[in-house]
Amino acid sequence: MEIDQTVALLKRSMPFQTVPNDVLEAIARLARYESYARGDVIYHQGDFADDVYIVSSGAVQHTLGIGFQAIHPEKILHSGDVFGWAAVLENQRSRLAKTVCLERTELIRINGEELINLFKASPETGDIVMSRFATMINKEYTLPEEMAGHVPHFTQVPVTVATGLTLTMFRLSQWLKSPKPYLMLTGFGILLATWYLAVEIWKLPRFADMPGLTEVVKEWFSKDPIYGLSIYTPEYYQHIWVSVRRILIAFFLATALGVPLGLFLGWSKTFREYVFPVFETLRPIPILAWVPLAILMFQGSETPVIFLTFLASFYATALNTMLGVETIDESYSRAAACLGASKWQTFKEVIVPGAMPFIFTGLQISIGVAWFSLVAGEMVSGEFGLGYVINTSYTMVRYPTIVIGMVTLGIVGYVSSALVRMAGDYMMQWRVRELALGGR
Amino acid sequence: MSAVLQQAEKAGKGMLKGAIRIEDVVKIYDPDGAAVMAVDHCSLDIPAGEICMIVGPSGCGKTTLLNAIAGFHSITSGKIFLDDELLCGPGKPMAQPGSDRIVVFQNGALFPWKSNLDNVAFGLMMQGKLGKKEIYDKARSMMADAGLSGTEHNFPGEVSSGLRRRVEIVRALMNEPKVLLFDEPYRALDSLTKSVMHEALLEIYYKNKVTIFFITHDLEEAIFLGHRLVIMTSRPCKPKKIIDVDIPHPRDYSVLTSTRYRQLMDETVELVHEEAKKAFSAGEKEG
Repeated sequence: MEIDQTVALLKRSMPFQTVPNDVLEAIARLARYESYARGDVIYHQGDFADDVYIVSSGAVQHTLGIGFQAIHPEKILHSGDVFGWAAVLENQRSRLAKTVCLERTELIRINGEELINLFKASPETGDIVMSRFATMINKEYTLPEEMAGHVPHFTQVPVTVATGLTLTMFRLSQWLKSPKPYLMLTGFGILLATWYLAVEIWKLPRFADMPGLTEVVKEWFSKDPIYGLSIYTPEYYQHIWVSVRRILIAFFLATALGVPLGLFLGWSKTFREYVFPVFETLRPIPILAWVPLAILMFQGSETPVIFLTFLASFYATALNTMLGVETIDESYSRAAACLGASKWQTFKEVIVPGAMPFIFTGLQISIGVAWFSLVAGEMVSGEFGLGYVINTSYTMVRYPTIVIGMVTLGIVGYVSSALVRMAGDYMMQWRVRELALGGR
Repeated sequence: MSAVLQQAEKAGKGMLKGAIRIEDVVKIYDPDGAAVMAVDHCSLDIPAGEICMIVGPSGCGKTTLLNAIAGFHSITSGKIFLDDELLCGPGKPMAQPGSDRIVVFQNGALFPWKSNLDNVAFGLMMQGKLGKKEIYDKARSMMADAGLSGTEHNFPGEVSSGLRRRVEIVRALMNEPKVLLFDEPYRALDSLTKSVMHEALLEIYYKNKVTIFFITHDLEEAIFLGHRLVIMTSRPCKPKKIIDVDIPHPRDYSVLTSTRYRQLMDETVELVHEEAKKAFSAGEKEG
């Protein structure tokens, strides 16, 4: 393998990523290229650890021996992954794992002692690489921290096991190198280009009266908007705030009432017999059908809108919570009973957390339908809010403002459901970590 | 009673607790008026501290029996005693679940939303008998004894399935139960992990002598672990034959190559196969 190819491979691997080019070239000169067939064992547990390996292509199975308290005793390594780091550890120069090639594999190996000698010449770089090794051992192989403590250091500054931040930054840089963000941008690009071409260039028949992309953007970012609404006018933020406030009140009420109702519906069979049929009869009634009654029931223009928004959210939340309780594996409640938990303790410790994933699915749906019915409500009654903006702009022939209202709704709606998702992730760390391990 | 148990008693560990007596138990399910007999006049005596392996084809009603002891299901007639105390019987069709009899479930029932340590501490925390600090100290030291240090703060979903089973057993032992009820706990594990788990289970058993009621359909597992095998008939379920496994404890995996093991395997395999065929032709649902 050519030196520059090796350098490129080193740059893709976590520990060597930030090493300056001249040092990388020196490391690349130490590297030896090797190729293995499927089923070849690279080393066994207990072998003397001489070299560090970096996978160039193929797949290597890395199985830690028993007794190292690793949480994931098995790993499959692919291109850019580093293994065999026992070769750079102090006082731990024997292999902890067995490595077998799962397919035809090409890799480079670097002698651990030669690598350490090279780092003695450039201690700062050496420490960065070694702290990354430590992070990798600790986080990726999830071995105890004391194992990472064997990593040598070269400067006078005591070595610290790098925090998760290094790993997060590494993943971020990997994400930026992956096609995902560019595909996303391309998707938006196609949407905007189609709009621009259809309205302003080709002037397709159906699009003739539509506000064009440039017109909308100009209006939106104008200090002196023709139709009175842009990011520089206070009215814009007032409308957003009025809508957000309505959503907050309705969503809070729907959650505060819907979650307990759903929990009890799922938990108590008797309670369900009373309530569920009523619930199921009212639920299919479209929110718009409630508009007249809402106006009759509540005074003013504010409460009817909040009521309509609340109603849609409430059904989604309660129903999903109930489903959540129903899907909890019976073994959990039985295990709790075996372990001496009372009925109330079982409810608190098993039913509520067990239903949590469904509750948050419900809340995601709930915030979505809340925006939906809010706009419907604001179009019918109300003096402010984004729904109101869209509706009055139509009647007053302010077409670009319609689109500004729509796009703003899209952004605010996206942010609100992202916040709900983040709250869910924060409250369900166990699930986040479980899903992360599944590679999802 | 096997030699090990006698030794344990001689060693002055006091009288072992956790003898189970099953007397003439019948369980008839009655879904949609069609009575199905799951357990048919089953009687069985399990001395305290014994590892009793219940072997039978899938769906034969072994789990029904376990559920009756644990207190998840009622029985139709008969009696079940734990140390001469009536668990369920006439006038009391369903036992009260309690921490003296803890089930290790088929698919595992560690709470995925609690860390391993919180899972282990759960029982004592719920019972409120000890202070929080004492409970967690005990939980940590029991986990360390079972080779689980380093995984305390992981969630069950983050560790391997073999480790999860070990945590679940430690969670049960925290409550100092008299009986552990295993419902095919290693069914989903691959055979290599299984063999490690078997040795680990025996190691735990030698430290904490509890009665073990262990349901399985894996003969290798049954002979390796058990003091006795109770071979069950296919549905309705009752003991067909009881076989003493006279291989001395403590055992390790070399047992599997011994002549006695082979002989026992030969003796039992035909019996079990017969019942499995019956269950198969009757089209029993697995479970």
